[in-house]
Amino acid sequence: MDMQEEERPPPRESIVPMINVVFLLLIFFLMTATIAPPEPFEVEPPASASEGLGEPGQPIFVGAEGQIAWGAATGDVAVAQAAAAWLEGEQTTPLIIRADKSVAATTIAGLLKQLATSGVTKSQLLAEERP
Amino acid sequence: MPQSKAFSFDTSRRRRRPSLTPMVDVVFLLLVFFMLASRFGQDVALPLSPAVAGAGSYQGAPRLITVTADGARLNGVAFELSALPDELRKLMPDENATVVVRPDSEAALQDMVSVIDELSDAGIRQIVIAE
Repeated sequence: MDMQEEERPPPRESIVPMINVVFLLLIFFLMTATIAPPEPFEVEPPASASEGLGEPGQPIFVGAEGQIAWGAATGDVAVAQAAAAWLEGEQTTPLIIRADKSVAATTIAGLLKQLATSGVTKSQLLAEERP
Repeated sequence: MPQSKAFSFDTSRRRRRPSLTPMVDVVFLLLVFFMLASRFGQDVALPLSPAVAGAGSYQGAPRLITVTADGARLNGVAFELSALPDELRKLMPDENATVVVRPDSEAALQDMVSVIDELSDAGIRQIVIAE
């Protein structure tokens, strides 16, 4: 009697189909994800106990020294472009402001006034969740 | 006719398995890339409304909170942050009355966010930011 056949371990699972699936998933997520553009400068948002969640979208950045950027534009041009882009959109989501916690609060107040003058009626300030 | 070697798809037992090391290299490269590129933690957000002249109906006594670097003043009188909501309610004709928050030149954004948090916690949500 030949027992050789029964003693052989079962064949290993083939690795190639798994690699195919992994690459398929990888390509799927790469295509569907939107990669956030890098911050133009270091911004550390203030801590807040607020429960509202931040909306996705391209924010206006305000640095610790009061420098303002939106996309590639800086300063007043950035504010004007951000407001124009918001007005062109559906206007249901707020315009997002990502500001450093140590910036003078008057800068934010001034920015808000500038936005309001341009016609932006909804805006929100991003913050980090207070632990 | 002898079959060319390139077209022989017969399943030979001793098929060479693809080497795993380059694939693992690529996967780790992608992993490190996404770990460095992604921003973790869901941001919270506070809605900000600018004080626009003639935008709403302001009723009752003046309710102006001046945010300073070390606290807040209500109509010019310094109060502890925790005492602000109670003091404010005495001046509010109803629950949805508007409160004006105005930062002074020394206040950082974090100071203003803390004041807004304190008011929101107490249920005072109609806050406008004045310059």
